[in-house]
Amino acid sequence: MGSKTEALAKQFEKVFDDLELVIGWETGFDSLHATPAFIRQPSALGRLIWNPFCSHNLSGYLTKTLNATAQEDAKKIGICVKGCDSRSVVALIQEKFISRERLYIAGIPCRGTVDLRRLMRLKPSLKDVNTVHIEGNELAVETARQTHRFPLQDVLLRKCLQCRYPNPVLYDELIGEPLTPRVTEGQAPPFVDKLEAHSLEQRRVFWERELDRCIRCYACRNACPLCVCQDNCILESRMPKWLSQRSGMSEKFFFHMIHAVHLAGRCTECGECERVCPMEIPVALMKEKLNQVVKELLDYEAGLNPETQPPLLTFDPSETGI
Amino acid sequence: MKSEAASTPEQELRIVGFLCNWCSYGGADTAGICRFKQPTDLRIIRIPCTGRMDPLFAVKALIYGADGVLVSGCHPKDCHYAVGNYYARRRMEVLKRFLPFIGIDTGRFRYSWVSASEGQLWQQVVKEFSEQIHRLGANPGLHEKIDVEASLFLF
Amino acid sequence: MSGTAYITHNELTSALERLSKEMDVWIPVETGDKKWGIQFSKYQPGKAPLLERQSTTLPKKVLFPQVETLLRFCYQKDVEDRSRVTIDLKDLEDMAPAMVFGARPCDVRGFLTFDQVFLNGLHKDPYYAQRREKTLFATLVCETPDSACFCSSVGSGPADQAGSDLWIIPIEGGYLIESLNERGEKLLPKMGKEATQDQIESAQRFQEKAANERVGEGDLTRYVRAFEERFSDKAYWRDMVSKCISCGICTYVCPTCYCFTITDEMKELEGERLRSWDSCMFHQYTQEASGHNPRPTKFERYRNRVGHKFSYFPDKYNGMISCCGCGRCIRSCPVSVDIRQIVRQLKEEAGDCVST
Repeated sequence: MGSKTEALAKQFEKVFDDLELVIGWETGFDSLHATPAFIRQPSALGRLIWNPFCSHNLSGYLTKTLNATAQEDAKKIGICVKGCDSRSVVALIQEKFISRERLYIAGIPCRGTVDLRRLMRLKPSLKDVNTVHIEGNELAVETARQTHRFPLQDVLLRKCLQCRYPNPVLYDELIGEPLTPRVTEGQAPPFVDKLEAHSLEQRRVFWERELDRCIRCYACRNACPLCVCQDNCILESRMPKWLSQRSGMSEKFFFHMIHAVHLAGRCTECGECERVCPMEIPVALMKEKLNQVVKELLDYEAGLNPETQPPLLTFDPSETGI
Repeated sequence: MKSEAASTPEQELRIVGFLCNWCSYGGADTAGICRFKQPTDLRIIRIPCTGRMDPLFAVKALIYGADGVLVSGCHPKDCHYAVGNYYARRRMEVLKRFLPFIGIDTGRFRYSWVSASEGQLWQQVVKEFSEQIHRLGANPGLHEKIDVEASLFLF
Repeated sequence: MSGTAYITHNELTSALERLSKEMDVWIPVETGDKKWGIQFSKYQPGKAPLLERQSTTLPKKVLFPQVETLLRFCYQKDVEDRSRVTIDLKDLEDMAPAMVFGARPCDVRGFLTFDQVFLNGLHKDPYYAQRREKTLFATLVCETPDSACFCSSVGSGPADQAGSDLWIIPIEGGYLIESLNERGEKLLPKMGKEATQDQIESAQRFQEKAANERVGEGDLTRYVRAFEERFSDKAYWRDMVSKCISCGICTYVCPTCYCFTITDEMKELEGERLRSWDSCMFHQYTQEASGHNPRPTKFERYRNRVGHKFSYFPDKYNGMISCCGCGRCIRSCPVSVDIRQIVRQLKEEAGDCVST
């Protein structure tokens, strides 16, 4: 895996003259935590890493921190994307929030990223990790003393377990060989099915139990690359006032409905909302269901083709049955 | 939690109707002028066009206790603004299919197309939908206190 | 040692059960089925506290709820003269006595910051004062610091007893509870049998070991001026804060963050005035009525967070740092922004600062 990390740095070194900066991942405050890196000097490219801890979707920074629209004389922005992240980039291009010309995309075929909290549950004492990589169906975590192995099923992020796009759909340079998807097309999202097997009443109780923990820190919204309203989110607007400061079940429920409904037909299933949730609420599940509905009804999947338009932002007079 | 027992036919329930200004609002007016008898559970909110109908209006009404939500506008191809209802029908259908996932009965939400001259059709839509909501009973609403016993463990 | 009591692991829940008859007992429990996180919630029969690691969210809410009703109001129209309106007010409801069992020293130390702001100024906050008065803290000596912890760097430590009434020390077979003041002492008989000399000695050894432990590198208490000098170094804040997503996690899980907003929520003629947590990470926090925002981007907002904790607060309150080193803002941060590093590098040369 070290080879991919090196290939990444090498690739950016080659093109750095044309770049303003590179957004990638580096090691965070300890060996288990990767963190987004903003690299402005070619000499610092050595800080870049790539391993299964690099779960962050960096594409949100293109709109929220940088302004990746076409600008005269502006240098390009280099960005590292996994399969899922690349779909967010495509979606942002589709909606004209960023410009393809401003980007230099290093695509990384990805076999899954780790859900740290699931890993910690299995091995709370885990620390001082030297390397981490995926071998077959296992995650191999090598510490100074020994190598721990965990079944992928138990430690990957939920989104990775149902990933259909391990390979970036848009890139300038692919780092490594394309991979075969773990889940094939047409297969129903397993977690959506799991909840739908229950009665209406049980589903409501499920969401009540999960959403009751919500502390309304808005991390899910802020981490979402497609939550593009930023400081103008209706959630906090006083006029009109959509939501009160109360923290009852209705408010929590409605907050998450705002996020979900605004992402209908736009969500690229990068799972950031769920990964960042400090209370471990499976918030991405609502969006997965909406995506399933949009797929069935309008035969559309978000973030695959920069030329198309998300179906709820357009219409078709000839369609029937609705 | 409100009682989930089916309401008696006499008990009035609360249905929120979002009606486009140009067709269905006129249709409801026509029904009134013609004195077509209708159930009285419906409260009408006039919107300029179903294209203005934010699905979150319906969601908010249902989460905060409305027993049903009815959206109605011009027939497709007849939108006063030419295309508003083309957008609307996609949004409404997506919402309708999504609601059961969060535990809201899909029958509590309906959208329909009624023109200003179709007073009779309006009467029929309101009657059918009101009956349907009465069959479903009052909206059980959300539990403010979570039910620990009824835990549903998925992941 | 002052009064002591010994509770075996098996008797812990029955002791909590006894206490819960007289007061609300808040204990750390898991946030959900098979979840990693831990949160504080009121004791319910059969629920044992999870003491093996730090909680995700805090007992802060016991003294300072995320949302609290300051007062309820109701307008009443005169039947004779509809233009005459009277208002009926209800405020400051009585709260039941409470105990927080199993918080860590850092969680409890956070309230010293609150005390400065809500109790020791010109005006006393009656809501906070009432809760403070009626709440006891039984604090667990901490033996499980992790890589995000840095309590010793801010003048605290794993055996810091500041703000606690009772002290919980894990020993062979159970816990030794030691009272730290009179309020705590009164509760001891309800918690367990008196401890034996052996148990007391073993607890003392444990306590001393924890007290000698150093958690976190360096001293972060002397950065008041360094922050002021770095205040307008735009490149510094850009490099440190670029990865921040501007969510409210760090403030909501912080034991010392006390910012709030007040809103009146009305429906027809009735309403309530709510006080709810606010976060300086949010755009609206400094939004002015005119539309102007003095902290328009996350860079100014995060700079303010650092400044408040390590510069403005100590400047105002005799050098007291408004950070207790619990490390939650680092651990819970979805992008691992590390406040220790940002503070430490305040003193470094401009070119040498690296954000990891």
